[in-house]
Amino acid sequence: MSTKASDSKPSFTPQDQVPLPPPDADVITTCCDYCIVACGYKVYRWPADGPNGGPKRKENALGLNFPLRPGQGGWVGPNQFTQANWNGKLHNIAVVPDHKARAVNVGGGHSIRGGCIAQKVYNPNKSTKDRLQQPMVRINGKLTPVSWDFALDIAAEVGKHAIRKHGESSWAMKYFSYQYFENTYALTKLAFKSINSVAVSHHDHPSFVNSVPGWVDIGYDIFGASYEDFAKADCLLIAGTDPFESKTVVWNTWILKGISGNKTKVIMINPRKTAGAAYVEQHGGLHLDVNPGSDTVVHMAIARVIIEFGWHDSDFIRDHVANQWETDSGFGQGTRNTPWQWRTTWGKFQVKGFEGSEKHWKEWLLSQEESKPEVAAKIAGIHVDKIYQAAEMMGKPKANGQRTKTSILIEKGHYWSNNYLNTASIGNLGAILGIGGRPGQVMTRLGGHQRGGQNGGKYPRWKSPYKVPGRRRHALDLDRWLQDGHVRFAYVVGTTWIQAMAGSHALEESIKRYTTDNPHQVTSSDKQAIIDTLKKRVDSGGMAIVNQDIYLRDPIGAKYADVVLPAATWGEEDFARANGERRVRLYGKFYDAPGDALPDWKIVSMLAKKMGYMGYDWKDSNEVFTESCRFSRGGRKDYNAIKVMAKKQGVKAHEYLRSKGTTGLQAPLLMFDGRLVQTKRLHDYNRKDIPDTGPEGLTVTNKRLLAFKTQTGKLNLVKTPWNLWSDFYEYMQPRGDELWVTNGRINEIWQSGFDDQERREYIRQRWPENFIEMHPEDASARGIESGDRVKVWSDRVPVVTSNNLGVKSGDMWFSGLMKDGHIMQDHGEFDAVVIVTPAIKQGVAFTEFLTMKQAGNNITPRVPDPVSQNYRFKIASGKIEKIGESPYKHSFSQMSLKRRDIV
Amino acid sequence: MLTQKAKDKYNQKGGCLMTRRTFLFSSTATVAGTVLLSSIPGLEGQAIAATVSRYPRQLIGKLSQLKTGVPVTFNYPDTGGNSGCMLVKLVEKAGGGLGPGEDVVAFNTICTHMGGDMKSVFKAEHSVLGQCPLHQSTFDLTRHGMIISGHATESLPQVLLELEGDDIYAVGMMGLIYGRYDNLKA
Repeated sequence: MSTKASDSKPSFTPQDQVPLPPPDADVITTCCDYCIVACGYKVYRWPADGPNGGPKRKENALGLNFPLRPGQGGWVGPNQFTQANWNGKLHNIAVVPDHKARAVNVGGGHSIRGGCIAQKVYNPNKSTKDRLQQPMVRINGKLTPVSWDFALDIAAEVGKHAIRKHGESSWAMKYFSYQYFENTYALTKLAFKSINSVAVSHHDHPSFVNSVPGWVDIGYDIFGASYEDFAKADCLLIAGTDPFESKTVVWNTWILKGISGNKTKVIMINPRKTAGAAYVEQHGGLHLDVNPGSDTVVHMAIARVIIEFGWHDSDFIRDHVANQWETDSGFGQGTRNTPWQWRTTWGKFQVKGFEGSEKHWKEWLLSQEESKPEVAAKIAGIHVDKIYQAAEMMGKPKANGQRTKTSILIEKGHYWSNNYLNTASIGNLGAILGIGGRPGQVMTRLGGHQRGGQNGGKYPRWKSPYKVPGRRRHALDLDRWLQDGHVRFAYVVGTTWIQAMAGSHALEESIKRYTTDNPHQVTSSDKQAIIDTLKKRVDSGGMAIVNQDIYLRDPIGAKYADVVLPAATWGEEDFARANGERRVRLYGKFYDAPGDALPDWKIVSMLAKKMGYMGYDWKDSNEVFTESCRFSRGGRKDYNAIKVMAKKQGVKAHEYLRSKGTTGLQAPLLMFDGRLVQTKRLHDYNRKDIPDTGPEGLTVTNKRLLAFKTQTGKLNLVKTPWNLWSDFYEYMQPRGDELWVTNGRINEIWQSGFDDQERREYIRQRWPENFIEMHPEDASARGIESGDRVKVWSDRVPVVTSNNLGVKSGDMWFSGLMKDGHIMQDHGEFDAVVIVTPAIKQGVAFTEFLTMKQAGNNITPRVPDPVSQNYRFKIASGKIEKIGESPYKHSFSQMSLKRRDIV
Repeated sequence: MLTQKAKDKYNQKGGCLMTRRTFLFSSTATVAGTVLLSSIPGLEGQAIAATVSRYPRQLIGKLSQLKTGVPVTFNYPDTGGNSGCMLVKLVEKAGGGLGPGEDVVAFNTICTHMGGDMKSVFKAEHSVLGQCPLHQSTFDLTRHGMIISGHATESLPQVLLELEGDDIYAVGMMGLIYGRYDNLKA
């Protein structure tokens, strides 16, 4: 008698066959839509009724013999295959990492996110079938399909009314900073150039600000590196991120190449031992498991050890770090309206140079109690030896006397905790180690989203009413502006405003108050009646919301929007964008957008024309791209030369870029003698291919190409006084039985999970819900086991309330705001399934950063950094309590509860 | 897991007296192999061929000879490229597990990310395969080869097992082997 195996089966049934593209399949080049790395992909498209390709090299469009050899790229797995309409006819579609890629994902590397991107494609028979396909207007509380004209007439009329009656900054825009040059250009042209509103912010900030303000002051560009630098370094310091988890191919293709080929030692600073951190520990590297928010003192202590051992790069400091004269003269032009001036006039940051007096940086650093390794180690909760080890790996010269080539790579776990001080203190480390502008010696953000922002107008910062002591003005804090009732019309484009912002619970209460709780609700399907009702709402202190997205997002679209507009996205239009090494590529259209969905630039053009603005008569995305080119001049992503080269060759700008395939062009792009010249890395002071005659014709040779991004072209060391942060940090420390609750990305989920966690069966099987990692000691103390469902909550989530005018020094620090009654303490909570693992530091819990239904941001503090207006998303604390068992505790079909740091 | 309703129906149909093979073909079971490409419109014709009946029945080991935590390698469904598999008695109960402890499972050991060979990176104490030597993906052998952490776009293909006396037979495979377009085309 035969007996069967246990009858468990996975929630998602995998396939064991997949069709191959025939040799005559259409081939379209694109890149992954997700993380900043933007791997090159090829789309193979052929009629659904076949014929399919065969396993021999000449029988398929991939040009590969099947089965493939181990390690060989170009595999078409079941998740790389889907079907979609093209010109109204059903086609087979395979979206495959480009195995012939010569840049980025050389040889066809990919992440789990991009590897499954074929499943992003709209397919009426799959779980993408709920894509938004028609404009909708909320009538009697229900979203009702209408025509584009009907929806946009309402959006235009109500928007114009708000502007006319309540001022242009009552018209707000919350939008993605990244979703292709064509769309961000159109959106910002409308908001800044045509309307000139200051009430605008990106998807990830409350204000229109820079993420890495310390580097702005010191002089580092945020994306100065080339990926090959990561393989050339002797030591990489990676802070607040693990590229294994979130920048996969940077890890797989470039960092692993350095570890194996160059014996690169990798130091990771992260409260959590990720898979990458566990791996580097086994390969001569180091994991600094710091307490959340303690990074600055660790950087200061490492710098102190480097200086005390004399490992700093004296030649570099002499030549590339501003001395007393340069520091003074560079800024001796009176108070100017620059961030540096606002900050330095406080006297808290500026120094006279590297060393020489108590007003120089070295002497200042050595005088700080927090820079002593023992003190820093105590604050950070790490063994003091790790500080010495890190300093030695980064700074100690090699046996042959050569300097160690160190690079510093940071991301959100680093800069979204103690924003100004972390970025400034790690920038100082770079300056004294000679980092910047040389192969293997670079300073860069690793990045989150791709770099698809191109402004079509100037942010009118001078209009912001947020005044801080001295002659300083902050960018407008849109969440607070809304909370205080100043937003009357909100245009929300491609972002989950509410869950994506800190203190989400309090933000939702505000949005609810001004929309669904307002007495003026639409009850008629008559267009004019709808417009009149919404105008009344606007005039009564309420707000109308227009939400443009690819899916109906809950609650911003599903509960609060008055008008919902369906957008077309990746694969449904030709778009251009840059990645984390400034590489610009064309993302080709390969299938029909669903229903009436239109690309964002097109919706903006229709809306702007209805509002009476000129300059929106674009016929296609190429025209928007071509118009945007000149606005990129002099910037990090300067791609103006694409337009110029295309014109010379008599082709469209998009077509010229398309001809560069998945390699694309690395910006800033320059032109000399009619030749196009690319840029490998910024601050490249040894660069020889730029004529010393300076800019030629249309080329702008921005200072950051050959020097650092300051007035003198040299790096400014800055002071990083711990007391700028310590009052807030003290408030946020866990009290009683609270734990730190920090958050971040994991490999398998992109952003809010709109494509994968919510709609990709393979990923839903892995992550049906949000999770929270807890240390075994913390879990057992609360009677919690892996697979239990817990409530994570806090009754003291700080939310800053109305306060625009700081008069005295200290008014805007956390303790000043608290004292003056400008901090509200809100309740916030979310639930999650526990994974008990020693990979997370004791006293800290880690959760996914943006799960829509179980949003970790409900408990993150909504008190932006007082210097830079960045949220401190990674610093939360709360109580964790078991509420029951999840189904995943005993079932084998979904959600692995295994630890993620197994090496 | 089967729903209770499905379990009841399954028991009515013969319960444990059914062989694994009849179980796979019974209408209640949507175990891999029987549905496959039918979810993709336009390929229904091929779906008929894509059933477990396609797979060979192959003796791969004896239950009494398996040592807990010590994998035994074999090739399946053929000896062609990327057919390396392992049979192992885990330290814990597993989805699709065979034997009294429901802890005997078998998987293809080629990483479904880029084809790294993982036969030597089994972690018995965790019931985990990985990290893959190429790019560090890990797989949970208690949960049908589900990715734990990493880059693979498919679960590790699980070999469907059947026990006859002390003999363990491979009778099918759930999921596509890396580098192939059809498990049975080597």
